[in-house]
Amino acid sequence: MERKSFPFSFFIHACALLLAIIILAPVAWLFIMSISPAADLTAKPLVWWPQTVDFSRYGILLSSVENSAGAAFVASLVNSILVAGMATIAALALAIPAAWAVSRTPSVGWSLYMVIATYMLPPVALAVPLYFGLAHLGLLNSVFGLALVYLTILAPFTTWLMKSGFDAIPREIEAAAMMDGAGLFATLRIITLPLAAPVMATSALFAFLLAWDEFFYALLFTSDLRAKTLTVAIADLAGGRVSDYGLIATAGVLAALPPVVIGLVMQRALISGLTSGGVKG
Amino acid sequence: MSALEIENIRKTYGALETLKGIDISLESGEFLVLLGSSGCGKSTLLNIIAGLADASGGDIRIGGRSILGVHPKDRDIAMVFQSYALYPNLTVHRNIGFGLEMRKVPAAEREKAVQETAKLLQIENLLDRKPGQLSGGQRQRVAIGRALVRKPQVFLFDEPLSNLDAKLRMETRTELKRLHQMLGTTIVYVTHDQIEAMTLATRIAVMRNGRIEQLGTPEEVYDHPATLYVAGFVGSPPMNVLDGVVTGEGVQLDGSGTIVALPARLKNAAAVGRRVKLGVRPEALQLTGDTAESPVLDVEIEVVELTGPEMVVTGRVSGQRVTACLPPRTRLTVGMRHAFGFDEDALHLFDAQTELALG
Repeated sequence: MERKSFPFSFFIHACALLLAIIILAPVAWLFIMSISPAADLTAKPLVWWPQTVDFSRYGILLSSVENSAGAAFVASLVNSILVAGMATIAALALAIPAAWAVSRTPSVGWSLYMVIATYMLPPVALAVPLYFGLAHLGLLNSVFGLALVYLTILAPFTTWLMKSGFDAIPREIEAAAMMDGAGLFATLRIITLPLAAPVMATSALFAFLLAWDEFFYALLFTSDLRAKTLTVAIADLAGGRVSDYGLIATAGVLAALPPVVIGLVMQRALISGLTSGGVKG
Repeated sequence: MSALEIENIRKTYGALETLKGIDISLESGEFLVLLGSSGCGKSTLLNIIAGLADASGGDIRIGGRSILGVHPKDRDIAMVFQSYALYPNLTVHRNIGFGLEMRKVPAAEREKAVQETAKLLQIENLLDRKPGQLSGGQRQRVAIGRALVRKPQVFLFDEPLSNLDAKLRMETRTELKRLHQMLGTTIVYVTHDQIEAMTLATRIAVMRNGRIEQLGTPEEVYDHPATLYVAGFVGSPPMNVLDGVVTGEGVQLDGSGTIVALPARLKNAAAVGRRVKLGVRPEALQLTGDTAESPVLDVEIEVVELTGPEMVVTGRVSGQRVTACLPPRTRLTVGMRHAFGFDEDALHLFDAQTELALG
């Protein structure tokens, strides 16, 4: 790379810093809100930096006293993990074979396009049919029912993402494995899937986030602690006559933690470039 | 019994016929090169032998056993791909041993075979690396090793040298020849490079438009090209082709009255008045005096290029382009005229319409 002048590299760093500030400012404000005393949050003019640091709301939300706000929040946290986790695992289980099949058999690619086309429908169009369907199956207000609904959203998305991942793996590698005597499943297990690990991890992460953040269907299809997810629980906090902005912010911080942890854990798998060197170049 | 028999193989995609009946019979230990420009069907034929594509008709036998419909892994073949197709997530050791591993060969035996192969290809020190950590030439060796280790009846090579730079390509070519001489394996090798074909093959099949134009040893293909296409494809620079018409004294070149006398063997090959093409290889042309008895071309010299080992001279005779490869110390200047002679055995005669060799 050519050498850069000082003003230019200053400019580059300033831009990067600005971008970071724009992205991180809401998150920082969320955290500050969660530790500010209630008075500070309603004061005029707004107090940007709290006089005293107040962590009590974290205790309230994570308490396990029955019938408390904490119990409701923890239950919704567990529900969210269950629903998003189940939907993601099921979506991957469906998407891996489907994506591989579509990638290796271009003549059936139209089926994937048709599935993707259902993505164009706004969720509200499907809300009523889905509601009746779930009611008929007795799956309303159930984490399994909600996971099933999410699966219909996640499966096309992950299939689409992984198809491009499989497309990047040369077919010749699989042909070579076939001539070496590897059966279909041995080829997939030893060669193809390890090579597709980065894109599988990416798909899993995005699928989990999509399910984690979903609000509309969760609001419609759940009604109490047995199935309510985080997004609905946070909305409940804001929906009362008196809204504790600090408490909502605290719930927001806590809700952001699981995806962040999963992202950190999968960071290694997300690093791609594993396929380099197998074929020319 | 032949090691590999290809019998009337056809391949059609809808109305498009890419292979129009290929017949080749290969003895054990032969090195067959399928030579042709892209789209001639050579890779399709290789893929059909490998089992990666289905034939539309015909039969292929390896060791007397028909293999069409047999799974690629049971055909007793191994293939080296143009892109190498190594397994990027496995070490070199496991890449080479993968075929044996899948065939449930005991670990100790496998280890021995991998070590022997690595030693043969001088890649013992690379066994613990991943393909991504290797250079192009090293990857090529691993790909060859992966094929060698299984000791199949027939090896298939799909343009294996096309991704290497010029120097490495030559080294690897020699290496392949050495391996073939040492191991005596039967090889089918696809390339569009006529030098590779000439140097490696025991037999060359020159292909064009889904047909074999000529099947023969490198000497036969070079010295006695069956068609004008083969004559132009094999050899560098390509053979000079001069248009003319047969007269009582020989062939009169178009554009002038120059008459090239025909040697005895070609005298009765074409009737008087027939349009023909004369072929002379550039390396067969040499400077002569005017009194020579061999056929003579009077060339007006236009370009003189010194390549180092030889001097490539381009000029015109009767308005038709002629190239000659001369010794490097030849004194020639642009613009002068000079007589070029050639041995009468070096003269080729083709029919202008069918483009088939005459005589």
